[in-house]
Parts: sequence; C-alpha cells; structure tokens
Amino acid sequence: MKKLILVNGLAALLVLLAITFFSNCATSNVAMNKSGAQLWGENCVRCHNTPSPETFSDVEWDVAVMHMRVRANLTDEEAKKITDFLKTAN
Amino acid sequence: MKKLILIIVIFWGSYSLLSAQEDIKQQVKELTNTVDSLENITKPGKSKFLLRGYAHAGLEITDNESTFEGGSFNPIFLYKQSDRLLFESELEFELEDRQLSIGLEYANFSYLLTKSVTLRLGKMLLPFGIFVDRMHPAWINKFSSKPLGVGHGGILPTSDIGVELSGGAYLGNSKINYSAYVINGPRLNEGDDEPEEAGQLHFDNFPDNNNNKMIGGRLGFLPLSNSSLELGFSGMYGKVGSRGTEYSDIGAFLYAIDLSYVQSLSFMSSVLSVKAQYSGVNVDQASYIDTEDTLNTGATYTFNNTSTTYFVEGALRPALLNNNFFRNLEFAVRYSELDTPEGSMWDSKLNQWELGLNYWLDWRTVFKFTYRITQGEAGHDEGGESPIGNAFLFHWAIGF
Ligand code: HEC
Repeated sequence: MKKLILVNGLAALLVLLAITFFSNCATSNVAMNKSGAQLWGENCVRCHNTPSPETFSDVEWDVAVMHMRVRANLTDEEAKKITDFLKTAN
Repeated sequence: MKKLILIIVIFWGSYSLLSAQEDIKQQVKELTNTVDSLENITKPGKSKFLLRGYAHAGLEITDNESTFEGGSFNPIFLYKQSDRLLFESELEFELEDRQLSIGLEYANFSYLLTKSVTLRLGKMLLPFGIFVDRMHPAWINKFSSKPLGVGHGGILPTSDIGVELSGGAYLGNSKINYSAYVINGPRLNEGDDEPEEAGQLHFDNFPDNNNNKMIGGRLGFLPLSNSSLELGFSGMYGKVGSRGTEYSDIGAFLYAIDLSYVQSLSFMSSVLSVKAQYSGVNVDQASYIDTEDTLNTGATYTFNNTSTTYFVEGALRPALLNNNFFRNLEFAVRYSELDTPEGSMWDSKLNQWELGLNYWLDWRTVFKFTYRITQGEAGHDEGGESPIGNAFLFHWAIGF
C-alpha cells in the first residue's frame, strides 16, 4: 500500500517535472506582461512583509533575490524582473 | 588703426577661447579619471556576499512562572559566487540552562542547472509543509510560540542532509513549483535510550542508521494569476529502523497538505493572510520492550503508530491605512492540534489557541503579544514541563 502511494507519488512528480521543463515554452502572456514592480508586489508578501527597494544596495539585492528565488521557487524571469526593479527603485 | 585693434582683439579672444577649451578638456579628463578610479573601488566583483540574520527574545508568563527568555541570535551568511551558484548558511546561538548552544540550522549550496531546475546539496530546511522553511523565523512567525506539532515536542521534520532538485514554472496563468529530495532521514527511537519515546521519529540530522535513504518532495500549485493562493502537497518515505536489528524493515511515511492565501482587501484597507498545514506521520507497527515490566520478563507492547497534527492561522493587518500607528498593527489567531498514538508512552491529545497582537516597527522588526491556551492530555511530561495551561508571551524579533 505504502509502496503504491510512493510509486504514484513519484510518477506524479516525474510528470510534473516534465511539465515544468516544457512549460517554459508556454509561459502565459499574463506572466510575461507583468512588470518587476508588480511581481515584487505580488510575491514577497506571500511569506513576509514586503521590503521596500531602499532597504538594500544593488549588490545586496543581487544576493537577497537569488536567495529568495531558491527559497520561494521563483522562476528565472520573475527573479530577473524583480532584481531589476529593486535596483532601479532603490 | 581700428583694424589693428580689431585684429588684436579677435586674436586675443580666440587664443583665450582655445586655452579655456584646453582647460575644460583637462578638467574633464581629470574627472573621468577620478570616476574611473572610484568605480574601480566600488565595482562589485562577481562573487557577492551578504551577512544578514535575525534575533529574538521575550518575556514568558505561565501559570507557574514568569521569566525573560534569552531567545536566539541567528546570523545568516549568503555567498553568491556567480549567477548560478549560491551558498546559504544559518547559525543559531541560544542560551540553554546558562550554557551557550550553537546550532547549524542549514549550510548548503544551490546551483541553477537550468531556468527551472535548481540543484541543492548539503544541510537544508526541508520543504515539508510550509511552517519550517517559510514561516519559522521569529520575524516571520506571527506568534511568540510555534503551533503544536512543529518545533519542540513536535513530530515533524525540520532539516536534514541530502540532495534536492527544485524549481518553479508557469502553466498558463497558474504557477507550479516542486521540490524532490533524497536525505538521510529520521531515525526510529527503538526504545534503548529513551524508552518513554519508543516508536517516535527523531529528526536530529543523524548520520544514516541504514543504507536506505529517505525520499520526499513537495508540489505547490498557485492557481490564481496573482499568486495569492498556494496549495502544497508533501510526502516523505523511507526506512527508519537501524540496520541489523529487528526494526531494520520498519518504514515511515509522512505527508502534509498546506494552504497559503495572502490578499489585499482594499475595502478593509488591510492585508489578509491565511495559512494552514495538516500533516501525518505513519510508522510501521513494531513491538517495543515494556520498561514498566519490573519483573524483566522481556514483555513487549505495541500500538498503531500514527500521529497527526495541523494548524490554521489567520492574520489581518490594516497596512493600507494612512494612519501610521494603525497600519503597523496586526491581529492574528491560530488553532493547532496534535494527536500522537494511543497505547504509546508518548500518547497525547492536545489542542492550542494562540491569540496575537503585533506591532511592526518596520518590515522585519516586530513586538508580538501572544496569549496561548493549551488543553488536552499529554502522555509523559517533557522534563516535568507540562505543555498544558495558559501563557502570556511577549516577544520582540528583529531581522537585519
Ligand atoms: C516562499 C516564501 C517567501 C517568499 C515568496 C519571499 N520570501 Fe523573502 N524570506 C523568506 C524566508 C523564510 C526568509 C528567512 C530566511 C531564513 O531565515 O532562513 C526570507 C528572508 C528574506 C530577506 C532577508 C535576507 C535573507 O535573504 O535571508 C529578504 C531581503 C527577503 N526575504 C526579500 C524577499 C523579497 C524581495 C521577496 C519578493 C521577491 C521575497 N523575499 C519573497 C521567505 C520568502
């Protein structure tokens, strides 16, 4: 029974991994059209209060957003747009 | 004569104009040099470093005592070696019985293999549910204490050593994210050391006690295009008994379902946050030596080794108000339950309410007033400390 759950779980995971790989090509327009400011406004608050751009210098934002990219599984595009926004608005 | 004067004036004028131009050129050159050398001083190298962290402490008043708690100081070290490579590490300095204890919360590096696959190696906070890797830091957790089931006296994993693949991507207007990992995994308490905890899983980042690794993962779905809602499903499976003992085949399956919804409500000028997590721990049934059998006949006992725990919390912060004082206030409430196996020596059925009022000084500095009510039955007391009772907790947490 447990093995079954495991196998099913793994299969589901593989399918989703595959989808993840291919979904890069199918990034929706809504996502593409979001600005860095909007992504910053929508994403950071999901876990903690949103830091204002003035909090850090450009170099610090580079590191902090990469940390958050990994912690929050942000996409490559989201991380880039958010970093650019924070660096221009700080 | 007039002509001569005119020629002299023109000649003199052009000469001074030319020399002024030379002067300006010279000045521009000097300025450029200065800017260049300044840029060289401030030019960031490829390898970037950030030292951050957080600290917290507080006053805890329970039915029997009132004490200032030392809390902890947690420095976080982040090294971005390149656009693909990041090292993260957190230490925890804490006072325990007047002794300084130092913990390694995590130390791992992430390598961005492709745009949607990140490889992580080392000791990491496990993305099992949402509390541990997203909510536990004192400046993020909206209460002065943790919900039942996680943290001290809890039944859920926190961190482990291993390898993980993770990433996120868009699916139409929705988003998904995933994490899949292989870790040493927890160890079954077989009753030798702490017989009152026989059958419990220990998540202390032991070296593996068997050749079987634990595998696990989490899938997150963000169905709404503004990412406000996330549903997560986590699972973990592996053998937990020690090699060469009668427990070597004992396996454990852990699962968690989590929900996170954070949304601005403009009609209330507030940000609403709802978080919930339900988790279960199933360990294969086994027999443990009965230490209450004083005749030493080698009698054993067994039980259905299934535990569950969950929490639901809501918080409302009128962050969109103009008034400085009111927009820094936050109201929070959390309910949690913990249910451990009947027939075990650590059988408990507990429930807990936490009511919170917070004041935010900035985005990472907060004063937290929490009133906590814990009820139910606790199996064995942890070092004589019963979790049951009421408590008033006032903590301050700062992130930097
Ligand atoms: C999935 C949850 C999550 C999301 C989304 C998130 N963060 Fe974080 N963030 C965390 C956690 C958890 C920590 C604390 C890290 C720790 O203590 O290990 C943190 C810490 C930080 C820190 C402190 C420095 C550090 O790296 O530890 C900064 C700055 C930060 N976040 C910025 C952001 C920004 C900007 C965004 C939006 C783009 C964001 N975060 C989105 C969970 C999240």
